[in-house]
Amino acid sequence: MSAGKTAVLKIGIPGGLLYYRYGRLWRSFLEELGAQVVESGETTRSILSSGVSKAENESCLPVKVFYGHVLALKDKVDALFVPRVVSVKRKTHTCPKMLGLPDLARAACEDQVPIIAPTIDFQTGLWSNYQAVYSTGRIFTDSPTLMLRAGLKAWREYRRYQRSLKEGLFPRGRLELDPRRRLCSGNELRVAVIGHHYNVYDTFTTMSLLDRLRSMGVDVVTADMIPERLAREELSRLPKPLYWSYEEEIVGAILACSRHRLVDGIIFIISFPCGPDSIVRVICEQENRRLGGPPMMTMVIDEHTGESGFLTRIEAFLDMLRRSSAVREREKVPSLA
Amino acid sequence: MGSLEVVLSSIFDQMGVDYILPPPNSQRTIELGVKYGPEFACFPLKTTLGNFIEALEAGADTLIMVSGRGPCRFGYYAETQRRILEEAGYDFRMYMLEFEPERIPDLLRKLRELKQGRSFLSLARAIKFAFAKAVLVDRLEKKALAQRWMDREKGATTRALKECYRMIREADTYASLRKVEREAFQLLESVPKEAREPVRIGIVGEFYLVLEPYFNLQVEEQLGNLGAYVERSVYLTDWLRPTGNNPVGGHSDAESDEAARPFLTHFVGGEGIRSVGHTVLYQRMGFDGVVHVMPFTCMPETIAKSILPRVSKELGIPVLSIVIDEMTGRAGVATRLEAFVDLARHRRKAKMRGERPQPVPGLL
Ligand code: SF4
Ligand code: SF4
Repeated sequence: MSAGKTAVLKIGIPGGLLYYRYGRLWRSFLEELGAQVVESGETTRSILSSGVSKAENESCLPVKVFYGHVLALKDKVDALFVPRVVSVKRKTHTCPKMLGLPDLARAACEDQVPIIAPTIDFQTGLWSNYQAVYSTGRIFTDSPTLMLRAGLKAWREYRRYQRSLKEGLFPRGRLELDPRRRLCSGNELRVAVIGHHYNVYDTFTTMSLLDRLRSMGVDVVTADMIPERLAREELSRLPKPLYWSYEEEIVGAILACSRHRLVDGIIFIISFPCGPDSIVRVICEQENRRLGGPPMMTMVIDEHTGESGFLTRIEAFLDMLRRSSAVREREKVPSLA
Repeated sequence: MGSLEVVLSSIFDQMGVDYILPPPNSQRTIELGVKYGPEFACFPLKTTLGNFIEALEAGADTLIMVSGRGPCRFGYYAETQRRILEEAGYDFRMYMLEFEPERIPDLLRKLRELKQGRSFLSLARAIKFAFAKAVLVDRLEKKALAQRWMDREKGATTRALKECYRMIREADTYASLRKVEREAFQLLESVPKEAREPVRIGIVGEFYLVLEPYFNLQVEEQLGNLGAYVERSVYLTDWLRPTGNNPVGGHSDAESDEAARPFLTHFVGGEGIRSVGHTVLYQRMGFDGVVHVMPFTCMPETIAKSILPRVSKELGIPVLSIVIDEMTGRAGVATRLEAFVDLARHRRKAKMRGERPQPVPGLL
């Protein structure tokens, strides 16, 4: 390794929001540059409650959780790493909250820790993203080669993680996938759990939904596992294109499930009061009805969601699905003959 | 009748196109919007949905709405509302006007249908004339904000302003508009005034809510009646001609962004960054407080609201955020405004006496 500029810097990556998507990329990039990465770990009750008390009441649940992770890290690190992810696909944006995230993080920790906030924007082409890499890399090294190598390595790491999500490996912990366990194992009942990564894969706020479904003998399909081609087809059918990067994935996945009956039921997870989701919910529910898709349940979660009520609703939904898919089985037999 | 109606109806009047103005905003507008609108959609989406339903009930068969592309929800209002109204069984056509460069051909096609046989030239003229009206409306509103606190009799300026709206609406040529301009300013001037000790308050916040007195619970008027000289950050003309110049308000977007920079460094949709920037600008201009109005769940303004306490603390200017939706009670807002103006006045007096400014009390 070429010489670092300073002593080893401790960089904290708050484990909320886009961490669930790019955490591996960020971690690998920073470590390759010679930083010591500190993470905030699983969301816990105390992380949630410190976030809730610090954040504005009007914020969405994931932002409150994010605040909690920032607070958990701020005294342990030399700087926080909170990239500003503006756009990850042409003609789309992320949500306004993500556009302002580094500034929110600054407000959350009251400027007590510096924040490294490169801007990622795929609408402006590769150059500005190279600048993002460079501006971060410069903190640690003078060597552009090292930066590029770190960037490429991180990218490969990210691709590997995405691939495993696509293959349906079971998310064992934060950004950890269990190579021996899968979300689908040929069970009779198959349910799609669709929502933002930070909702679906946060075991605390969703009360281990994926794990529970698996142990109830239900196959789970996430948005990552839906063939991209099908999702893209659905998006191109919309009368007005969407302009939020991550909502596109959600809508595409749900509508693909509806049209092709990929699953027996859909659980759509929304956090309160998510702006983009409040809009795409209308599209998903309407189109699912129109396409005669499987039963769909929209679960709105917030910091007050109680475990028992949550589970009761899930169980009732599964019961309903079991009954209706039993009916379908019976109908299927004569048609086969 | 609000400022937006004055301006829009002018376009149709000039074109000689048949149109229906939805009934004025009312409790029923809100109720309809809440009933049909999606849960935790932003408040303006619900109220405009309510307006559409009332217009359809009144016999409209064509709806016109602007549409766009993010990052905030507004760009998707029209499409969402179309879906909801169609599913509710209403029969109508919706024209979504999009102003992005690559959508211009589509825009022209829609305008061709809408102008009902009139020429594009007359459409352009009508729009230009409407814009002239908008500028006048904005200037009069600005004047009203600046003088309401001196009213000898409460409500006199507001009444005069309403009268001005009416006069503007009736003007149908540039000549008559110029006459109205003179008369309207005279009318506002002639409101009996009384010498008072002012306190200076700025208003920032989400565009639609700031502009629509019925929905913002008349904050401007309430503040004026409490004795505050008021300026506000956004005007209708900023939106009709989005050059970023803020011709009536007087502070360009660039200036505001620059002022926001220590606190918020990136555009976050809507007026988010301007709410922060203008708060800083008001502080620089020696204002005594800033009132921030935002719809519940509004994303850009939630960001602003998270950041404004820092601005307030670091610069020592009191900021009051008022979050509004269908549940907001008028009485509660009135009490908070009153307490806020008191606080601002108190701090102002202390400053006049040359005392060291007291720290701004935490969250208001
Ligand atoms: S997309 Fe929704 S949940 Fe995610 S940050 Fe934005 S508002 Fe919050
Ligand atoms: S600025 Fe706020 S109120 Fe307006 S569309 Fe965006 S989220 Fe809704």
